[in-house]
Amino acid sequence: MYLREREGYIPLRSRIRAKAPAPRKNLRPEGRLSMTKKKKKQQRASSAPLLLIAAPGILYLLINNYIPMFGVFLAFKDFNYRKGIFGSAWCGLDNFKFLFKTHDAWVMTRNTLLYNFAFIIIGTIAAIFVAVLMYELGQRSRVKFFQSIMLLPNLLSWVVIGFIVYAFLNADTGFINNTVLKALNIEPISWYSTTKPWPFILIVTFLWKYVGVNSIIYMASISGIDKGIFEAAQLDGATKMQQIFRITLPMLKPTIIILTLMSIGRIFYSDFGLFYQVPQNSGRLFEVTQTIDTYVYHGLMELKNIGMSAAAALYQSVVGFLLVLGANALVRKVDRENALF
Amino acid sequence: MKLTKRLFVLAMVALMVFGAFACTAAPATTEPAAEGDSTAAAPATEEPKAIEKVVYAYATFNNIPTEETLATVEEAINAITRDKIGVEVELKPIVIWDYSSTVSLALQGGEKIDVFQSLGDLSTAISTDMCLDITDIVDTCAPEAKALIGENWLAACTSGGKLYGFPTYKPIALTQMVIYRQDIVDALGIDMSTVNSVADVTAVLEQVKAAYPDMTPVAAVNQGNLGLSPQNVDYLTDSMYAPKGVLMGDELTVVDYFASPEFATICNLARDWYNKDLVMKDAATTSSTAAELMASGNYFCYIASYSYPEADTAASLEAQCGGFDLGAKTIGSAFLDTSSINALTWMVASTSDAPEAALKFLNLTFTDPEITNLIIYGLKDRDYVLSDDGFMSYPEGQDATTVPYTSQLSCGTLGNFFIMYPMAGTNVESLAWELEQNQSAKTSVAMGFTFDNSAVKTEYTAVANVIEQYLFGLVCGSVDPATEIPVFLERLADAGMGAIIAEKQTQLDAWAAGK
Amino acid sequence: MKKQFRDDGTRFRLGSTIILSVLAFLILLPVILVVISSVTDENALISAGYTYFPKKLSLDSYYYMIKQSEMILRAYGVTITVTCLGTIISVLITTMLAYPMSRPNFRYRNVLAFFVFFTMLFNGGIVASYIMWSRVFQIKDTIWALIVPNYLVTAFNVFLVRNYYVTSVPISIIESAQIDGASELTIFFKIMMPLAIPSVATISLFTGLIYWNDWINGLYYLTDAKLYGIQNLLIRIMNNIQFLKVSSNVALLGTMNVDLPGTSVRMAMAVIGILPIVIIYPFVQKHFIKGVVLGAVKG
Repeated sequence: MYLREREGYIPLRSRIRAKAPAPRKNLRPEGRLSMTKKKKKQQRASSAPLLLIAAPGILYLLINNYIPMFGVFLAFKDFNYRKGIFGSAWCGLDNFKFLFKTHDAWVMTRNTLLYNFAFIIIGTIAAIFVAVLMYELGQRSRVKFFQSIMLLPNLLSWVVIGFIVYAFLNADTGFINNTVLKALNIEPISWYSTTKPWPFILIVTFLWKYVGVNSIIYMASISGIDKGIFEAAQLDGATKMQQIFRITLPMLKPTIIILTLMSIGRIFYSDFGLFYQVPQNSGRLFEVTQTIDTYVYHGLMELKNIGMSAAAALYQSVVGFLLVLGANALVRKVDRENALF
Repeated sequence: MKLTKRLFVLAMVALMVFGAFACTAAPATTEPAAEGDSTAAAPATEEPKAIEKVVYAYATFNNIPTEETLATVEEAINAITRDKIGVEVELKPIVIWDYSSTVSLALQGGEKIDVFQSLGDLSTAISTDMCLDITDIVDTCAPEAKALIGENWLAACTSGGKLYGFPTYKPIALTQMVIYRQDIVDALGIDMSTVNSVADVTAVLEQVKAAYPDMTPVAAVNQGNLGLSPQNVDYLTDSMYAPKGVLMGDELTVVDYFASPEFATICNLARDWYNKDLVMKDAATTSSTAAELMASGNYFCYIASYSYPEADTAASLEAQCGGFDLGAKTIGSAFLDTSSINALTWMVASTSDAPEAALKFLNLTFTDPEITNLIIYGLKDRDYVLSDDGFMSYPEGQDATTVPYTSQLSCGTLGNFFIMYPMAGTNVESLAWELEQNQSAKTSVAMGFTFDNSAVKTEYTAVANVIEQYLFGLVCGSVDPATEIPVFLERLADAGMGAIIAEKQTQLDAWAAGK
Repeated sequence: MKKQFRDDGTRFRLGSTIILSVLAFLILLPVILVVISSVTDENALISAGYTYFPKKLSLDSYYYMIKQSEMILRAYGVTITVTCLGTIISVLITTMLAYPMSRPNFRYRNVLAFFVFFTMLFNGGIVASYIMWSRVFQIKDTIWALIVPNYLVTAFNVFLVRNYYVTSVPISIIESAQIDGASELTIFFKIMMPLAIPSVATISLFTGLIYWNDWINGLYYLTDAKLYGIQNLLIRIMNNIQFLKVSSNVALLGTMNVDLPGTSVRMAMAVIGILPIVIIYPFVQKHFIKGVVLGAVKG
């Protein structure tokens, strides 16, 4: 089917010149699914079979996620083993106090937020960058090769990655100090005692582990773009770079939005392994490596208080939830069909 | 549309509530008896009185065995316990690093665990009602264990006049020692008998460093720990690596250890060593242990506390430390406080449905060598062999990782250490020495007092964090105490150390008055 | 006269190959270090540290692991089974859930979207889940304990697939099928599922990786060592070692005569953990790449 015959077709040149495909009023901007009111009425009737198809998934989520939510009560209870979850006494917001009262609480919250912002922004850019590059490679074998390599870090556990980073950075025998700095005639640095480079180190480690896996999502999305558009663009004289910036990237917008929204929902959570294992739990680095999860872990290792750990988890959930509601509302205003719900 | 949404929400809530009730209404059933299959023979026979089942959860450092292997060991144990106390046991070995969480999860989930132990958290177990008050049944069900452990030690496991468990009976008195390379000492002609305290060690280190400039004299014990602990401090229920209010000396006054001159002295010593290149630079962040470091040959000594006599300690460590000739010198003396004794306490779960049977079995683990050795070593000839004079070793060509069942490394956490078969190569006389040390070591004036931290939970977590942040650097000498200690103290105050100390003092005074 | 300049992308391809090669090399460097450390002599490792050119090589770490080979091979078997089974079931259910959500005229699509998303944020905690799966469903000590809890349907995957359907599959296909009289079920199984191949390939990969890497389900739900997966096994061993490196734990137990596997052994364990995937993946990838790179829907 030729482009020109498509509903709401806009001449190619203007599409290229425009920064993004112009929001078309007659065409519902949710990709290419469009319909008229009459059709809507016809198809609404078929809810039942669709629900049936969705049923197994719904059932699973009910059992695995919704019913166990009663565990949330623990956050408000002073847990007693003999009395169990339901018999234990309520203690109001007592269990939440430790998350707010001190200087450290502020530090951990700030760190968690900042790192997650950095991860979302830098991570997305890096993943798209890699995805676009890999997609354009064309030859299957090369793609295979690079992709396998990029996935390797994801297979290593954080404990092992912690060892690797230690191998590079430890003061006495680390690779950087021993080999690289010596060659450049710089004094060895005590990496695990200096806070400044760690945000950078942690972000790089994060990217190292996840960019391969994340780029796959974008690759799949890119592959879903109709080849015809590219061909037409090429015919009209667009360069590769232009094609990428004017076609590929805008077409990735829905995916980017969804992934970002999901990440915002998890913004108060951090990858425990990354922030605990990689800095080798070095106390001097806490100012820049302490996140909510590690703070809770440290605090509760000795206390082993069940209510408090539940309270921390609830705190993270609620904040993430509120933020995502807000972000989703924003997205709805700007670009309705790309919102999560 | 609105109606649908409302119905939807209602349905969700209903499901949650339903789910909650369904999960708790189900009685605390045991798991489908995995051991029941293999011990099917026994219950099938007619028994005059009902056999009670006890689940015994213990921590293991070795590999977890398969269910079949475990069943064979259980059967061997049951053959004894059925007749002796009318009990059948199900063994539940749990990996040590996840032991507390697994037991906690199981108990919360309503699973059957009857006997378990604490790992330094007895006071939490008591305050959250995890363990049963056994004061009333101890005399009928476990009189032998009670007599063995003695009133003094049992006091460490009491709270509010009630007894909650039995401490593991093993060499507990730890003496601070310096473990050093004997060959180097001999080569340099150093007289180690002059070394009687940590400060004396410095001179020796300097000598070694002068003679071997490429060697680092002091290795860390593990991350953040040079073994420089103060003497005669009662940590009042906290870990010695994160003290929050302690007793120093014979007064019942709670003080902040970090504000004390002893702490400053230790930090200054570490700093001194650090500046003179006498200690490894990344002690605060290393991922190696003393044994590994010594084995590499680049280190001269390390300082740690052990419970064996000097000669034994040195001999037993040689294999791990690369086969070098080692010597050991005592530089401190043993000191027992409540938490040293009750760190590993065996308790009966408060949710147990067979508490007396559980206690009877627990009694056997303290008094019956056959049962204890079955749990620790497994089946004779399959998992271990016994020499004529009673020493244990692995069968030909096998070791701890290849035999079907072993929990050998749990020897320090299980029941009665002194009735276990000694491993080949250990010195039997030292056992007697260790036993004597247990009895004669200096004990704290607050022996028997455990602190309940529920009132200061928030401050506890905050202070724990501050300690994690500053302590390692200070005690390993990688930061300057002159500048760091004041900052540390300020942060501690900000986190609520004062409140914790006040609360401890209150509880301590109440306990002292009640005595 | 319009200049017919066709940029067929050769320069770009060259550029990207170079950039990707550099990236791949940098990414690979640490992994190579792990492999080299696993064959480095333990003492050399401690004295000279981790290096790409070790002074002394030794296969001791692997000998140590080979002694436990029976356990390791069994663990491989378990993990491979769990990964395959889990991925297939998961992908099926996930796609079945995502497809209706993508239909714009489906009355409940937003409700479902919220329903799914909510699970990403709120979580009843491990105890509640544990009670649910081990007490009510009794999956403890069965292979299902490794497959069913937590990973079978994740909101993330559902949204990925839904997103793919929304952006890459035109409604006209459904419309024409309906005109032809096909039922919803037929449309889904015969048409929509095959069309989602790139997305299915993606979530298969993610789910497969998650199942392969998972050790937590095994930790909570398994007491029979027979069913331990490979990561579970390795983490247990490694954590045993880690445990004894923390001072407060050592103090607790009194220092013990424990011969801990050294650093080199831990590296060897990491290599063992990723080995099967490294070997199997190139074969699986053939289908995967075909799906992701070339799969596309034409109008």
